[in-house]
This record gives sequence, C-alpha cells and structure tokens, in this order.
Amino acid sequence: MADWLQLDWLQLLMIPFLVALVLTGIHTYLGIHVLSRNIIFVDLALAQISALGATVAFLLGYYPQSIAAYGYSLAFTIGGAVILSFSRSWTGRVSQETFIGVVYVVSAAAAFLLVDRSPQGAEHIKQMLIGSILTATETDLLKVVLLYSAVGLFHWFVRKRFLLISFQPERAEAAGLRLWLWDFLFYVSFGVVVTSSVAIAGVLLVFCFLIIPAAIGTLYSDQILPKLLIGWAIGILASSAGLSLSFAANLPTGATIVCVFGGMLALAALLKPLLFNPKKLQILGQAGSFAVTSLLTIAFLSGAWLTFRPKADQPLLDWLEASYPSLRQAFLTPEEQDYLQQAGSGFDRWQSEIQRLDQMERQSRWQGKGLSDRELRRISSYTMSFQEMQNGEKFVQRELRNAARQRQRWVFGIPMMLLSSAGFLAVRRSPRQSDQPLPDKPIEANL
Amino acid sequence: MQFCFGVACLLLFCLGWAMPAGADDVLRVVTTTTDLKSLVEVVGGDRVTVKSIALPAQDPHSFEPRPSDFQLLRGAQMVVKVGLDHDLWIDALLAETGNQEIQRGGAGYVDASVGIPLLEVRSTSIAPIDGHSHGAGNPHYWLDPANAEVITGGILEGLERIDPDYAAMYEANRSRFLAQLQDRLNTWEQQLAPFRGQPIVAYHNSWPYLARRFRLNLLDFIEPKPGIPPSPTRLAALLREIKDRQVKVIIREPYESDRVPRLLSSKTGVPVVTLVSSIGAIPQAQDYFSLFDYNIGALEASLKAALEASNG
Repeated sequence: MADWLQLDWLQLLMIPFLVALVLTGIHTYLGIHVLSRNIIFVDLALAQISALGATVAFLLGYYPQSIAAYGYSLAFTIGGAVILSFSRSWTGRVSQETFIGVVYVVSAAAAFLLVDRSPQGAEHIKQMLIGSILTATETDLLKVVLLYSAVGLFHWFVRKRFLLISFQPERAEAAGLRLWLWDFLFYVSFGVVVTSSVAIAGVLLVFCFLIIPAAIGTLYSDQILPKLLIGWAIGILASSAGLSLSFAANLPTGATIVCVFGGMLALAALLKPLLFNPKKLQILGQAGSFAVTSLLTIAFLSGAWLTFRPKADQPLLDWLEASYPSLRQAFLTPEEQDYLQQAGSGFDRWQSEIQRLDQMERQSRWQGKGLSDRELRRISSYTMSFQEMQNGEKFVQRELRNAARQRQRWVFGIPMMLLSSAGFLAVRRSPRQSDQPLPDKPIEANL
Repeated sequence: MQFCFGVACLLLFCLGWAMPAGADDVLRVVTTTTDLKSLVEVVGGDRVTVKSIALPAQDPHSFEPRPSDFQLLRGAQMVVKVGLDHDLWIDALLAETGNQEIQRGGAGYVDASVGIPLLEVRSTSIAPIDGHSHGAGNPHYWLDPANAEVITGGILEGLERIDPDYAAMYEANRSRFLAQLQDRLNTWEQQLAPFRGQPIVAYHNSWPYLARRFRLNLLDFIEPKPGIPPSPTRLAALLREIKDRQVKVIIREPYESDRVPRLLSSKTGVPVVTLVSSIGAIPQAQDYFSLFDYNIGALEASLKAALEASNG
C-alpha cells in the first residue's frame, strides 16, 4: 500500500517537475536579457497579447488547444512584437516600460471585454493568471521541449547579436546593426516562448521563472555563463522545493512555487552581503541590532495594544496561549477554568452532532427509503440549533478570554511596555561604545 | 429636424419602458437566472415578458451587473431571485433602482427559495464556514425537478399579487405544467433507477438536490472550496478514492475548468460527463424539461457505459 502511494505522488508530480525544468532552462536565459534591457514587465505584456489572440480564436469557435487557436495567439504576439520593437525608438521622455505597461493594461482590458458575454470567461481569465502546472500532460511537455529547443537553437546561432543589442545597444547601433529588426526577432522568439509557457503555468508563475533566477544570477555575477548557471540552479531548487512543499503541506501548486521563488530572492539578497562583503562583522552587527530593534518594537506595540484594548485581537498573546494554554488559565479562577473547559467540550460535542446529522442526510440520499421533506426540515432545524449552541459556547470562551485579558493587561501589558522601553534605551547606548574601535580601520580601502 | 424626431422617439421609448403597464399590456418580469425565467414563462404564459440578468452557464459567483440591468429593473413589475446568497448582488441592484414595487417585501418581489426543503443548511450567524460560501443551505435547489412545484407556487403567488385579474389563467398554466412534470419525473427516475448509489465525483458541490431526487451517491468534490485549485495532496487523495471506491463518473459543468477532470480521467479511466445547471448553457437545454432531459440522458449514458466497462 505504502509504495503504491509513493508511486502515485511520483506519477502526479513527475510531469509538472519536468515542465518546470524546461521552463527554468529557457526563461532564465531570456530573463537575463530582459533584466539587462530593463523591461521587466514585457512578458506580462506579450503574454496578455497572446491571450487576447487566444480569446479571439475562442470566440470564433476554435478549441483552446487547436492549431487555429495557436495561430491566432501567434499572430497577435507578432503584432505585439512589432509594437514593442518600435517602442525603443519612441522612448525619450518616457521610458520603454511605460509603453509595455500600457500594452499590458489595454490588452488585459480588451480580453475582459471580449469574454464578457461568454460563460467560460471568468475561468479563462483565472487560468491565464494562475495557470495549472499541476495538470500539465505528457503532450504539453513534448510540445514545450520541441518548441523551446528550436527557440534555444535560434538564439545560440545569433547569440552575439542578441547579447550585443541587449547589453550594449549603443555599440550595436555603431556597428551598423538594424536595432529594430533584431529587437523584433527577439520579441517574436520571446513571445512564442511566453505564449506556450503562460498557457501551462499562468502569468504569475512564468514571471517568476523569467525574473527571479536571472535576478539572483545577476546579484552574484556580472558574466553571462555564471549568471545562467546560478539561475538554473536556483530555478531547479525553487521548483522542486515548491512542488514538494505544495504536496507536503496540501497547498495549491502554482502559488506555492511563486512564494518559494520570492523567498529564494529574499534569502539571496540577504545572504549576499554576508558571503561577499569584507565588512561581514559590521553587517552582522547591523542585522543583529535591526533584529533586536524590531523585536523590541513588536513587544512595545503588543504591550500597548494589550493595555489600551485588552478585548481586541492580540496576535502575540493568542499565539503564545495557543502553545501554552496555562498562560491563560493562570488568570482565571478555578470556577472560570471549569467554565472554559465545559465550553470547549460542549463545542466539540455540538460539532460531532452536526457531523452525525450531515452524514445521515448524505447517506439517506441514496440509501434506504430516503428522507421525506418533513424529516429533512427537521434535520435542518436541529443542525441550525446545534450551530447556535456552538456559537453560544464560542461566546462563553470569548468572554472568559476577555476576562483573562483584563487581568493580563496589568501583569503583561504595562511591564512589556516598560521593559521594551528600557531595552530601547539600553540598545541606543551600547552600540556607540562597541562601535568605537571600528573607525580606526580604513574601510574605504576595501572597496 | 430629423435629430429632434429621433430624440422624441427615444424619449417616448424610454417613457414607455418606465411607465407601468396598462391593462392590455404584458407584465415585465426580471429573474436572476435563466431557470427561473423559464418557470415564470410557464406560469405567466402570454401575460408576461421575462428577462434574465445572469447569463446561462456563467459561474454565479463571478457575476457582475452592468448598466443595462439597472434599466431593466427600473421598468420591471416583478423580480424573482434564487435567494440563499446565490444572487446576493440583486438586492443591492434593486435598492439602487428606486423601484419600490420590487424591493424586498414589496408586492413584486419573489424569493423562489421560500418553502424549499433545504439541504446542507447552516445557521446564518457570522462564523467561518467550510466549503460553499452560501449562508443558509445549498442554493442549487432548482436541480431537483420536484422542487419546481414550490418554485412555481411562489411565482404564482407573486403574479396573483400584482395581477389578480388573471389569477385563474396562472393557476391553470401551473397545474398543466405540474401534471407534465410528474410524467417526466417518473421517466427520469426510471432512467436512473439502475444506477442508484453509484459513486460519483463532482467538480463543485452543485448537485446535492439532484443526487437526493435520483438516489445518486456524490462521494466527493474536486474543489470543495470553490475557486481554490486542488493541491497535489488533494489530487492524490482523489485518485486513491476514485480507484478504491470505484467511482463511475466525474461531473463537471461547462464553466468549470476541464484540466483537473481530464487529468483524473486519464489516470483512472473514469469518464468525465458535462452536466449543465442552467437552461441555455448548451443549445440542447432550452427549457426546464429539456434541461433535465439532457442531464439525465447524459448521466444515464455515461453510467451505463462505465458499468458495462467494469463488468465486461
């Protein structure tokens, strides 16, 4: 049984993982270009234009996966590529990103207008945004492998020109390269990739694949190859961590991978000064004092909040009490503790009663004689009464919590405020004394 | 000159729509869904013109009213809604029109859910509730054909309130419809009788009333919380459940994504059947009867095929 189960999840996650690898492969490379051109949102714009094309095809009656639908997306993408490749020469007073943003917003709104009268509209828009990498099939995988290999080969053959126009457009122009032509080719190949990726993984996830590995690579290196290798490693790590996390913690896959990517970027940005900066100790010290200040601020605010509004939600105290229930019980009389206990067990009892009735009704839909309308109404009214009783138990728990909080404000709230204020004063003094030996070192010399 | 004439025509048109109907005029009724529209037409006959606000086959949770709906309601004499938080937006829209007749409690206001024996009832006190975010019971009650008796009863009462002169005609229309419905219901029950208790997985929890009437066993849902895509853990559990409990079909609606049903189907061999919960969602479902003709027929065909496949 156990090994069958393992096979099951392996079978479920294998294709999404391979798709994620393929996406990492091409998008990290394209992301390096995009970052250097400073046109971060170009993928959103192109993806949205190609989605607009797919929407037009959909309204004309073609199935989403058909050749015709792909043709429409591609035609729209090429149109978008034309607009974007000219946008470089239009920019002067306003940045290229302005045009890209306008293209994105207008094509998104146009898609909304188009699907307005179609029942699947909402689903279509949602699918564009969050995609569903989890349901990618073998056919999807094969398609992207073939397509991205072709695009990758194309980029390999003309890599020198593409790199030149992305990294040193002035030199490219001086060398007599037709900028708009190469821009156009870049955007078309980019659009082809983004169109298929977005159809599988959605705009949010594709944006992460494009920007985050490339950004981490750029943080740690200024050369193409190391950037690419770092980006690929990060992409593989984040996709596998995201997929495993979404399986282990029962979370929607796409959104989990996006958040893991975000966490990776934050970690990489935080770790960078520690790994490569010669002033490690100083930075650690700064980080430490920042952490201490934030902790003291949280403690001070919680203390003040508890003192002035004991009946409001107290996140810090709620969290502590959830881990150590005795923290609340200590502030209740034995009689009150008894009430709290009863309210808790009462709540569970009503819950199990409600579940029993639910179960009974569900079973009766197809087993036995079935419930008559009158019996059904009776069950419903019982269920509602039990729920009202549950609410009553909740009310009792809340009142007792408030009673405890009223007492806690004097014992926890005010001392917490005073202690954290004292902490602030202590922190303000001590670093100046410990800082003093540092300035003897000529820091500038290290830079 | 021509322009003035055009403006005059437009004004006349607007006035005609805004003025209450005369004795020989027809009644203007607005419903929130196409299913209620069909049932109002059944009871009202030639005396009513009915318009429905929401599109057929649209996810009711993602509905967004538009300016023309506002115009429509302003000139309406009766409004019929599903109720039970299924179409909460209608009350806000009604309040904005200022049409007193059709406000909650007015003579032309009909909540079709009144009197329905509800399933999955939850008390409406504010508390976090699992699953479908419907305050007071599952709202898909029109999918039990037997409930049409209560629904048309509410519509009849409403029509008699605002148009008592034609009460006898409305009652006759309704009785005729109910007699036909009873015949059809017997046929539909016979069609699905061999498949009683066969385990079924549905995309959303939209079919409990259908399941109760036709004795189907709705085992589980792909999205227990609508709008949140299933996690891989959930998919693995569903796959295991489909295999272990020998689920026969997977139900989805046209507006629901077919990616997850297709994945489950490809890994288990269980067929996916598309059912519609609203009239007009597909061309075959033109009125209340053909809605069930289609759904029951589709279910029967796929269950039959699935049973033959598992036996043979």
